Amino acid sequence: MSGTRTRGGQVTGSGPSPQTADGLLLQVLRRSGRWPAVYAVTALTGAVVELLLPGALGHAVDVLVKPGAEPGNALLVCAVLVATVVVCDAVAVLAAGSGGAQAARWLRRRVVGHVLAGGPAVSRRFPPGDLVTRAGSNAEEAGAAPEALITAMALLVPAFGSLIALALIDPWLAVAFSVGLAVIAVVLRAFLRETTAVSGGYQEAQSDLATRLIDALSGARTIAAAGTEELEAGRVLAPLPRLRAHGMALWRVNARAGVQAAIVVPLLEIAVLGVGGFRLAAGELTAGQLFAAARYAVLGAGIGAALGYLNRLGRARSAARRVQEVLHHPAVAYGTHELPAPDGSGGPHERTGGRAGRLEFRAVTVCVDGQPVLRDVDLVVPGGAAVAVVGRSGSGKSLLAAVAGRLADPDLGEVLLDGVPLSRLSRAALRAAVGYAFERPVLFGSTLGEAIAVGRSERAARAAAVAAAADPFIRKLPRAYDTAPDEAPMSGGERQRVGLARAFAHGGRLLVLDDATSSLDTVTEYQVARALTEELRDRTRLIVAHRATTAARADLVVWLDEGRVRGCGPHEVLWQDPGYRAVFQVAEPGAGHLVRA
Amino acid sequence: MTAPPTGVGPEAGVREVLWRALRARPRHLARLLGWSFAEMAPSFLSGYAIAHALDDGFAARDPMTGLGWLLMLAGAWVAAAIGARQVLLSIAGIVEPFRDDLLTHIVTGALHGAATTGRGPDTAAVSRLNRQVELARDSFGAVIAVVRSFVFSVVGVVLGVLSLMGAALPLVLLPLVAGLALFLVSLPAMAVRQREAILAEERTASSLASMVEGLRDVAACGAEDGTAAVVGVAVDRQARATRGLARLTAVRTISLAVGGWLPILLVLAATPSLVRDGATAGVVLGTLTYVAQSLTPALGSLVQGVGVNGVRLMVALERILTTSAHRLPEPRERGAAPPGTLLRLRGVTFAYGPGADPVVDGLDLVVREGEHLAVVGPSGIGKSTMAALVAGLLRPAEGRVLIGGVPVEELDRAALCRTRVLIPQEAYVFRGTLGENLRYLADGASDADVEKAIDEVGMTALARRLGGCSAPVDPSELSSGERQLIALTRAYLSPARLVLLDEATCHLDPAAEARAEEAFARRDGTLIVIAHRLTSALRARRVLVMDGARAQAGTHDEMVDASPLYRDLMGRWDGAVTAAADS
Repeated sequence: MSGTRTRGGQVTGSGPSPQTADGLLLQVLRRSGRWPAVYAVTALTGAVVELLLPGALGHAVDVLVKPGAEPGNALLVCAVLVATVVVCDAVAVLAAGSGGAQAARWLRRRVVGHVLAGGPAVSRRFPPGDLVTRAGSNAEEAGAAPEALITAMALLVPAFGSLIALALIDPWLAVAFSVGLAVIAVVLRAFLRETTAVSGGYQEAQSDLATRLIDALSGARTIAAAGTEELEAGRVLAPLPRLRAHGMALWRVNARAGVQAAIVVPLLEIAVLGVGGFRLAAGELTAGQLFAAARYAVLGAGIGAALGYLNRLGRARSAARRVQEVLHHPAVAYGTHELPAPDGSGGPHERTGGRAGRLEFRAVTVCVDGQPVLRDVDLVVPGGAAVAVVGRSGSGKSLLAAVAGRLADPDLGEVLLDGVPLSRLSRAALRAAVGYAFERPVLFGSTLGEAIAVGRSERAARAAAVAAAADPFIRKLPRAYDTAPDEAPMSGGERQRVGLARAFAHGGRLLVLDDATSSLDTVTEYQVARALTEELRDRTRLIVAHRATTAARADLVVWLDEGRVRGCGPHEVLWQDPGYRAVFQVAEPGAGHLVRA
Repeated sequence: MTAPPTGVGPEAGVREVLWRALRARPRHLARLLGWSFAEMAPSFLSGYAIAHALDDGFAARDPMTGLGWLLMLAGAWVAAAIGARQVLLSIAGIVEPFRDDLLTHIVTGALHGAATTGRGPDTAAVSRLNRQVELARDSFGAVIAVVRSFVFSVVGVVLGVLSLMGAALPLVLLPLVAGLALFLVSLPAMAVRQREAILAEERTASSLASMVEGLRDVAACGAEDGTAAVVGVAVDRQARATRGLARLTAVRTISLAVGGWLPILLVLAATPSLVRDGATAGVVLGTLTYVAQSLTPALGSLVQGVGVNGVRLMVALERILTTSAHRLPEPRERGAAPPGTLLRLRGVTFAYGPGADPVVDGLDLVVREGEHLAVVGPSGIGKSTMAALVAGLLRPAEGRVLIGGVPVEELDRAALCRTRVLIPQEAYVFRGTLGENLRYLADGASDADVEKAIDEVGMTALARRLGGCSAPVDPSELSSGERQLIALTRAYLSPARLVLLDEATCHLDPAAEARAEEAFARRDGTLIVIAHRLTSALRARRVLVMDGARAQAGTHDEMVDASPLYRDLMGRWDGAVTAAADS
């Protein structure tokens, strides 16, 4: 794929990142191939010919209305000019569309590659919706920059050229055009008060209706059971009259603006015709010249559209700036190291020591928005151990989980897996060793089977699904493992189980479970816990948890408090500390559920 | 406002919806046509006035007469502008109700669809539908405007050219017809390309959105390359679609050239012969003005308007009609309620799809009137499906569900709703007063009944905090547990004597859960509780254990003996259960 190169298992944006928005636009121009050149030539030629055409037509009229005239050169010139305009138009449309498409494609692929290379840090810096806008419509607008520039020029040529042409035909015509433009503008402003579009009320009514619908849909099962669809429809549609009233108000504003637009050009043309008529009566102008003058007046009135295009160029620049900001975000640099092979793999291991999956934090400090959230964490997790990470919310548990598998990098210190700093591992080695499950997993892939496997074998995916207690419910879905994730009706707990299965299929040495069983009911949580202590016991498990039962099952508990490790040891030992017990009080079943859900 | 018919193919549906939208507002349509004549005046008058201004005025050394003609033309333009305003408002009068109809269709469709499947479109889908509605409204307005303006411009030009010199008419009309035919021939291909471009753009946006949303998960799985490839495919497709569209648009300019420019050249070429037949310079100029000023722009907007907005309109409407197609609600006759609430399931089997394992397989169950049953099993095992089957929301593939001896599918909805009440896990509270929310299933409940229910279920403190039954409630300001309390009280008030609580207390603390369940147990009638916590099983008289392989029912002690899963759970969780019950 062009634009994104894969080197050493690492996605990088191609080429150096330009320093400025204009630099990026220049690259866009180069990447658009020959289309901008084609567009420039055809659009400008078209513009010039369009400028010549009224004159030629006027001349032809003058020649041809003379008695006994034959349609000769004058007509031929007109025909050639018309043909040129048409051909230029057609080619220009093709060039503008194709060039813009090519540029937007290049820019988008580049942004996509870069965002993926930047990893989760990118979404920490840019809100998701904003990022989609930057990669989507901003890339499109920036890609259209060459077109906008050329179109503006191509529109300015006939607009200004017409003024000159009017002046050349007769200076009085140019005067009439300019004065007419000013007078019409003043008169219109006096008659039509400036009305600012009041679209706020319309949008407000619209979102009221949407909110009501979403509210009602959240109660779909209740409504179905109670048979109250009609009642609910009435309640949801209550804002319709308000929507209609605001909508009509907007139309009235539009209609005013429409009057203005409809009247300026014809009145200008009549003004020019009037003055031209007097000059014709005085014998200074021919009928053909009068026709040409009228056409030039219309062309000249297009100056507003030309300025509008310059405005678009400004938008393209600011779009390029926004794309540029994304491209400037640093990509995650992976190393080339592999993990050492597990000693005596396959044989019975000792509890600690030689087993693979030893995780070590060395003086790790991580900052979010400049504030340290994890401070100076030193920690050794023996290979194959189950470690619970507990602490009040905001104590840095999730960040610790993120740093453990390099979803975030520490600002100070380092994290090692089996003695190798994570930053030196190749991407493939790192991701084969570490698996992540989240509270709200996002599933990708066209089927649930793919969403679990993500590159692993189907068999591994099935086994992982069984361990995560996801297999029974997946097999009951309309198309079982072939059901698309978007189309699978899944509860929060079911989604969590698919996420767990994905983690189990991936983390060969280390499983990081970040609050990944919070939505499971007690029966299912028990099944997953059993898998974690039985089938998956050869892997190191780092489990961020709220429940005391989870901590009690772990070999070791890491107790975080305001970003520091406050205690580390077996649950029963830590339980002696009232401060430790207090951690679980907010998470007790009743109150915790009331607050959290 | 009636929803469009269902069961029709989207395209036929789309055409019918549009046609109906036009016919439904005859007054606005008449007004639209009336004012269109005013708007047409200049296109009829321009060439004529200019011809006379030249021939009778300026060229005849009588500039004041010429000026008079021009002023008349200016007046016509002003009248046309006023007409244009009225035309736009008439269009608004057609498309605003059209928008309302679409919204009504979407809302009822989404509600009925959600009621059928138990799930509706999510927030994003709702806002997408909203955008489609706006798109449909705007493009419908645009299409009406350009088609109408084209028709009237052509009529104006034809009349105008006839009034100047009839002989010139074929020179103008023939190329126009040819250009129009070319456009119409290219329209289907154009529509296909335009549709491809719209869909490709949407696909790119949605694949970008899911990439951004899943960035953390993509990194965690090391799936960067695969994701880049997937998004890349969408991006490439969009680029191809845009290029394809550009190519066809380029070809389309030819129809504009034929219809718009050729008449000018033809008139010029014919000028010597027209002059021989008595045409003046003014007449030639006037004819050219008609073409350049009215015909070419009108053809241009028609091509642009129909080629782009028309396709947008079709795509948006098809999208709206297919996403929100729904089964029409069954007629609401008031049939008799079944005698009693003895519940009997006979060999009930249900699967969500042909390739899926059955969720419920050959289930036999009898729940006697007044009994209290708890259903236990891992989530996703089919407990909620069983509740939906009992409630008559799903139809079993095999077997029967009988309430009071009557098969549920034979009960009409009203009778069914008076017989049983199902409260799902996700409690539904709407924006309204607390009283409206509580009386949702029991219209005529007295204040005393409501007070008693509030007290029994245990939401007295909540009712007080909210400010009593007349106080408005905002669901977004309530916790999940508080919403569940309201839904439970609502169910308590309903006349139904068969109560199905489908994890309806999962967000309550164990004490509140116990209180609510006990209130329902005391209430007259049958109670079936889908248990979220195992403590619910201890309170029930009988337990149904669903372990995926089979479903068995019995008392707690019987099930400890009969079901390994149940025994395992109770043994493993005995400590936790006791601890939770104590707190």
